[in-house]
Amino acid sequence: MANTWGYGAMTNSLGDIQNAKAIIIFGANPAVNHPVGFRHFLMAKERNNAQLIVVDPRFTKTAAKADLFAQIRPGTDIPFMYGMLHIIFKNGWHKKDFIDQRVYGMEDVMKEAKKWTPSLTANVTGVSEDLLIQITRAYAKSTPGTLIWAMGLTQHSIGSSNTRMAPILQLALGNMGEEGGGCNILRGHDNVQGATDMCCLSHTLPGYYGLSAGSWKYFAKSWGVDYEWLAGRFKDKKWMSKKGFTLARWYAGVLAGKAGEDKIHNGGTNLKALFVMGNGITSISQQAKVKEALDALDLIVLADPFVNEAAILTDKKDDVFILPAATQFETSGSVTATNRSAQWRSEVVKPMYESKTDHDIMFELAKRLGFYDQFTKGMLIKENKKSFKFPEDATDEIARIIKTIGLTGWTSKRLKKHQENWHLFDQVSMRGIGPMKGEYYGLPWPCWTESHCGSPVLYDVHRPVKEGGMGFRNRFGLVHDGVSQLAGVGIKDAKVKGGYPEITAKNIEKVLGIKLSEDEKKKIGKNWKVDTSGIIAAKCMEFGIAPYGNAKARAKVWTFPDQIPMHREPLHSPREDLVKKYPTYKDKTNHYRVDTRYASVQNKEDWSKKFPINLVTGRLVNLNGAGVENRASKYLAALTPEMFCDINPNLAANHGIRDGDMMWIHSPEGTKIKVKAHYSYSVGEDRVFIPFHFAGFFQGEDRTGNYPEGTKPYAVGESANTVTNYGYDIITQIPETKGGLCRVEKA
Amino acid sequence: MSYARMKFYCDEERCIECNGCSVACAEAHELPVGISRRKVVTLNDGIEGKEFSVSVACMHCTDAPCEQVCPVDCFYIREDGIVLHDKEICIGCGYCLYACPFGAPQFPKDGAFGTRGVMDKCTMCAGGPEETNSAKERELYGQDRIAEGKVPACAAMCSTKALIVGDEQEVSKIYRKRVMSRGKGVQSAPYGWSTAYGN
Repeated sequence: MANTWGYGAMTNSLGDIQNAKAIIIFGANPAVNHPVGFRHFLMAKERNNAQLIVVDPRFTKTAAKADLFAQIRPGTDIPFMYGMLHIIFKNGWHKKDFIDQRVYGMEDVMKEAKKWTPSLTANVTGVSEDLLIQITRAYAKSTPGTLIWAMGLTQHSIGSSNTRMAPILQLALGNMGEEGGGCNILRGHDNVQGATDMCCLSHTLPGYYGLSAGSWKYFAKSWGVDYEWLAGRFKDKKWMSKKGFTLARWYAGVLAGKAGEDKIHNGGTNLKALFVMGNGITSISQQAKVKEALDALDLIVLADPFVNEAAILTDKKDDVFILPAATQFETSGSVTATNRSAQWRSEVVKPMYESKTDHDIMFELAKRLGFYDQFTKGMLIKENKKSFKFPEDATDEIARIIKTIGLTGWTSKRLKKHQENWHLFDQVSMRGIGPMKGEYYGLPWPCWTESHCGSPVLYDVHRPVKEGGMGFRNRFGLVHDGVSQLAGVGIKDAKVKGGYPEITAKNIEKVLGIKLSEDEKKKIGKNWKVDTSGIIAAKCMEFGIAPYGNAKARAKVWTFPDQIPMHREPLHSPREDLVKKYPTYKDKTNHYRVDTRYASVQNKEDWSKKFPINLVTGRLVNLNGAGVENRASKYLAALTPEMFCDINPNLAANHGIRDGDMMWIHSPEGTKIKVKAHYSYSVGEDRVFIPFHFAGFFQGEDRTGNYPEGTKPYAVGESANTVTNYGYDIITQIPETKGGLCRVEKA
Repeated sequence: MSYARMKFYCDEERCIECNGCSVACAEAHELPVGISRRKVVTLNDGIEGKEFSVSVACMHCTDAPCEQVCPVDCFYIREDGIVLHDKEICIGCGYCLYACPFGAPQFPKDGAFGTRGVMDKCTMCAGGPEETNSAKERELYGQDRIAEGKVPACAAMCSTKALIVGDEQEVSKIYRKRVMSRGKGVQSAPYGWSTAYGN
């Protein structure tokens, strides 16, 4: 996404889905995962006669509401979309002027799409030619169409190609920058967008600033700390610009050096301590490895309102600390919704018992580690204060520093005002009325200045910048292969016609045709991303342009191993014949500090011989994430008291498994789980589905005795992630949990 | 003039089996696990083109069969149509369960030879014969939200607004509006969404 048009975020909003004439969903199940948001999908159907199309490996609750449903083989979304594009280009249903003006590199896509005839697509995806044609016609002919996805599209070894393929389909149809169109990625948890924006990740600084010395210096200055002091916190300066481990593979950092484990590049040492805030540890694949790593650590600290199940999984007896963290109801501050809107949240009760808020835990930790002053100094700078008020001053600090995604307008004062005036916003367009007129609810970013209205629909050139309009971001240079990357169309009411580059101190006078005063020249920052003076943003608003430029989206990412998305079979594929034709990548060294295997896993053996069944994991409506807080609710637990496996009755009967029997699921990793069989026709005979919210059992062993007294949840069971397979995305390292293999047998 | 008559309606084109209604009900009234005043029933689960779900509880029938068959006459029907019963009269015989077309009556103790406790069922969040909003009413029947002017917990929680409750005239008005507005386009600013169940 970010590599296609600038930002990796939902482009429109849930409410805006009501404006769609067609909705196509890949690898998402909003009826289960976003039940409240799903109302907007149903409203689009009711009010707008929108066609609801679901492409998913199983017949989900969302599919039950669909007009058209395709049961795709896991990991073949790219062929499916190329198959659609083949038909679209052949019939001339693509939007030619949009592509000419706003897209770069579509010719290469057209060339690849030619190969994906309906019959080839049907062979690879398992979806019939007729249905593919029917779906393509319905989607291409009903515009605007919105494309929805979630983890079903991203959690693959080719996930980063999948998430470029979907935007390409939308670009070909001209569905971008339109109400009722867009790429609407559904974030799976509260504030995922906010956590990403603040970079609770290992490869950028907050606001996606990257890890270059320039970015570090900008932050050092903005935080009011010495750059050399920051650098001194690292082993040496060169480690400042290196990506860290990811959540998916931190265990490799502990286990490296043992026989058969992947090599790491971590400054000559393994990881020794783990500090966890949140539940990610038991919600990623390779639970057997995770357990081994937990056991081998020197120190584990788990800050969680519930007993984090990492503590149940490990056999480690000493130096495991469980800190009682407060819930969201016991603190306040802003969270960012899936559509880039901020929402202020008030404290309902003070933290109960011994629990502390996450920020208090971090403050205390910083004090003990001796950098509390530096840690909190950024909050004092704006008004040169002696003490800070959390979270207001933290929010204002974010607004002061983060220019890349346009958080300048997100002052705590404005966000609170929006919260207090919920009733004054329209739920579809998000437009305010009365005192909130002229603003969109939650000031969806980019919100360029302290008076900007927010941007409800990204890349919409039909509305002026002062009403949230913009082109695609100029992020990938001005020229590639001799072709200009600037857009061939201007933004409504802009005083700069057509495309233009991102604004810097150097080019601002030329692009805007102005002369800066000497004073302005002295104050202005190097470019729009680091200009804390606000001069660039202010001038841009005056001229009706977005500071980040107006460029073409790119269908081709020349820095990626696959410049245009290419189909590659999952590491563990049920179709050995296709593995030869569409092999995975070569093994990759130093991928977020870990050597990661691709071809060597795929070619090790014909996995489909011993493990012929596709393994699909996903969510249940009553549980969330690793499920710890929901399984501790007796009413939610009562809906699904046990871990189970949805299995097609024919497949089950062939293995002598009756409905309600216990069954084993074996994984190519040599691991297994024992679960209850649940007959269901929602999965075909070649695949099974298991939910991933359970914990407490490990490979048949009951570990619930490890729960401290009184903390055992009402529902316990095997973790799906004990049997999800090895495999990680080539760019992001997200685990391949949605395209693995398994074998089933009666227990 | 006619009095308001309270009704439930579940729009099966909107119900997604999220169970928000049944969990909200259980939480609101602090029911024992296993007592389902409201449940979501899904038919043809997993069968393409045939699966649908509907949320069911006591339908507060006009000519309520439970009331007809009760040997101790513990039922009473309020003027607004809500069917309630007196737990202090109920003997837990289960006749009402045989008579009910919806399987609404619940019994706290079950098992082949277990003794049955007194019957429990959906009160449309209107409590029981005890003093309104008293501790005893709360203990025996759960919250009395109707007396507080609140929507019953199930419909308030319904994620897609499939479940509608209220004066039957209002319920049918909302549903009629839904049907009439099919295919007529999105209602957005400047008109705005109407509040509560208007959409």
